[in-house]
Amino acid sequence: MKLRGGYNITLEGRPAGVVTKLPEPQRLCIPLFSRRFNFSEVLVTDGQVVSDGDTLATDPDNYSVPLLAPRGGTVRLNDTDNHIVLEDLACPAGKAHTPEKDLPHIVQKMGSAGLKRYKLLTLGAWQFFSDAFTGDLPDPMGKPQAVIISTLSLEPYVARGDVQLLNRLLQFTRGLEHLQSLLEYQPIYLVLPDIKSEFATRVREQIRGYAWAKLIEIPMKYPYDNFNILARGLGLKGADGPVWSVRTEGILAVDRSLTVSKPCLVRILAVGGPAVKNPVHVKLMAGYPTDSIVDMFTEGDCLRAINGGMLSGEAINTAKSGLDTEARGITILSEPKEREFLGFVRPGSDRASYSGCFLSSFRSKFSERLTTALRGEGRPCISCNYCEEVCPAGIMPHLLHKYLYEDLIEELDEARVDLCVQCGLCSFVCPSKIELKQQFLEAIDLIAKEKEEARLEKEAAEKRAQEEAARREAEEAAANEKAKADDAPVEDSGE
Amino acid sequence: MKIIRNIFDKLEPMFTGDGSLKAFKPLYEAMDNFFFAPDKATLVAPFGRDPLDIKRFMSMVIVALVPALICSVYFFGLRFLAMMIVSYAVGGAVEVAFAVIRKEEINEGFLVTGMLFPMIMPPTLPLWMVGVGVAFGVLVGKELFGGTGRNIFNPAIVGRCFLALAYPLQMSTNWVKAGTGGIGRALEYVTVDSVDAVSNATPLVLAKGGEIVDISKMFLGNISGSIGETSALAIIAGGIFLLMTRVGNWRTVVATLLSAFVLSAIFHNSDSERFAPAMWHLCAGGLLFGAFFMATDPVTSPVTNAGKWFYGIIIGIVTVLIRNFGGYVEGVMFAILLGNIMAPILDEIVFKIRIRRLAVEG
Ligand code: SF4
Ligand code: SF4
Repeated sequence: MKLRGGYNITLEGRPAGVVTKLPEPQRLCIPLFSRRFNFSEVLVTDGQVVSDGDTLATDPDNYSVPLLAPRGGTVRLNDTDNHIVLEDLACPAGKAHTPEKDLPHIVQKMGSAGLKRYKLLTLGAWQFFSDAFTGDLPDPMGKPQAVIISTLSLEPYVARGDVQLLNRLLQFTRGLEHLQSLLEYQPIYLVLPDIKSEFATRVREQIRGYAWAKLIEIPMKYPYDNFNILARGLGLKGADGPVWSVRTEGILAVDRSLTVSKPCLVRILAVGGPAVKNPVHVKLMAGYPTDSIVDMFTEGDCLRAINGGMLSGEAINTAKSGLDTEARGITILSEPKEREFLGFVRPGSDRASYSGCFLSSFRSKFSERLTTALRGEGRPCISCNYCEEVCPAGIMPHLLHKYLYEDLIEELDEARVDLCVQCGLCSFVCPSKIELKQQFLEAIDLIAKEKEEARLEKEAAEKRAQEEAARREAEEAAANEKAKADDAPVEDSGE
Repeated sequence: MKIIRNIFDKLEPMFTGDGSLKAFKPLYEAMDNFFFAPDKATLVAPFGRDPLDIKRFMSMVIVALVPALICSVYFFGLRFLAMMIVSYAVGGAVEVAFAVIRKEEINEGFLVTGMLFPMIMPPTLPLWMVGVGVAFGVLVGKELFGGTGRNIFNPAIVGRCFLALAYPLQMSTNWVKAGTGGIGRALEYVTVDSVDAVSNATPLVLAKGGEIVDISKMFLGNISGSIGETSALAIIAGGIFLLMTRVGNWRTVVATLLSAFVLSAIFHNSDSERFAPAMWHLCAGGLLFGAFFMATDPVTSPVTNAGKWFYGIIIGIVTVLIRNFGGYVEGVMFAILLGNIMAPILDEIVFKIRIRRLAVEG
């Protein structure tokens, strides 16, 4: 497998490998949006009492993927903008979901494989899937060219796959079988950090005889767990159709919804980062108030909580919100406190750098107490090439930056800014502190918009041309007719 | 440091807002950020950043120059320090002036230029010439292109080139005999008038007359030549440090030295009377210094790794060709300038190839 670039940032506050439980919340504040979804179709009314597993809202643009109520309770719609608040929470009943009486109807409509897919979607397992190339939710009724399953999570810090797998190997393999039953002949790639480890051996024993599953070993280097990077490394092409990609938790969700027909309401999250006292994995549901998580795990103030990992997550405004349904981890960093005296001449045995410019390069690898400090001033690019060296996508961030600076949009497109997987490593290593990743994100959007506009324009032009042609044809036909009519008497007279 | 902080806090109102010195805000900011690391926080992901910044990056070059600096003082005396001060003062002034005019931050690049420049000068050069040279180098070699990061040529080499063309006499005669013994010339202030110290020829000049200086002498630096360029040992020690920090790229250095070595070995084998041995060429003149400290300047060398290989090869080959067949005794300077010109072209070629390959990905 061909993998490029990559770099491991070791950051203090790595979560322990056990999963702990947090106290039941008093109230859930569930965002109607997440990274990929926008649950704009709300199906409940204010004051309505729902039970756990009910569908609160769906996203009409994403195959009606549902937002499920993690707990029973009373719905409040107007409490927080763009959130559904659940109060008076009840203990989960944990009932099986799909009503038996609907089943024959659905089977009749979609066949038994279709039923499985329907269950995946409505029970909340399908939202664990994404397309490796676009990152979007794949069509649940569609046909993938391949499936990639990754047990790794390499970004600091999102939930590690192995934590969830250790005790649930059986469920995992059962989930794999379910998944396979949806496919025809497409290969399933199971990505592991070490195919000789005890864990991998056990997985292999379990899935022995499943010819369709291929074990792939990749080094534990961020961001090799990125599905786009994996798919490209496996030589798959975006043009050949979607590549379903899913992590461990998704396979466990598949098992849960297809074996016991229960909705997937909780997920395992990592809470980590240098500002966290006891970093752990926790089992949480959507809507769990983020400020109480931050309070529970940290001391003091001047903190920044991030939804997702340190490199690609998004800062959360902890004031009122809760976890969204796609959250995989909370990383908490402290804000920079004081200005260091002659900071740049310190020997720096406590700061880990990609370059060798600090004394720390003579130490063995260690975890750093990173803060949110930019640690330097913005400068023009000095062409050090670090960004290209770490880039896993094989593109040239410095060149893209130059094109952006000069507004060369066409060249940007040609240099494949769209291949950027938003891993954030280039921005991390850049000594000139250029916000490369952010700029590329904006550029990708801009180019997509321009292409869309061009497409629409072309369509409109084609339509116009067609109409024009039709009109001319009609005119010609009319003229011909007229000519014929005019000709006729002449011919007549000629005869 | 409390005291320094207080001074800065007191001065601040003068430079900000409508203060009397607001035109010099870049200078104030640069000094402030020099003493106290800025506490700006990230606004977008990634939320933490690598500790390396441009200040650290540039200061690594200076640290790597320390062995050569010690040798400079040991072999050629205290005058070198005076030259350095002039170089920093004039170079810094030009940099600040441009920052004020452009209302931009002061770039750290001149820290390196100010140090490199006196090291490639002959030891007895009048101080005013040092000033003129560095001013020209920074002005024409850098600021006219838009400052550090946008320049095509290495400013120190532009400065030296200018001096070599404008004052050829002072630049190529009056070499000082290197100091020896316990403290060398470390306590002397050698000028053109200290006749006993002034010899007339560097190893490269002598070689034109067929006299080959002992390699071991050249390795230690006990020869006459440009101030910082004589001691191969000190340059290699500092240079290896530079490569280890990844501030200098090893590809450039290896390509330069290897190509120079191979080509001069071929020449030497074909006619050992006429051409000096390869090892000798490696240690002579400014080749090592140029390869480790000038060619590796990230801004003026190609950014791509493939480009760096070809860039180094061009420099190595051109140096040896000029030395053996050209009218000049030393070719490194022109070779690097030529390399600087070629760098964007080499990059462009590599970009083209890579973009073509990228077209089929994903
Ligand atoms: S350009 Fe994109 S893929 Fe490459 S390092 Fe930067 S963020 Fe990652
Ligand atoms: S890491 Fe930053 S300074 Fe270095 S080449 Fe890339 S963009 Fe330029």
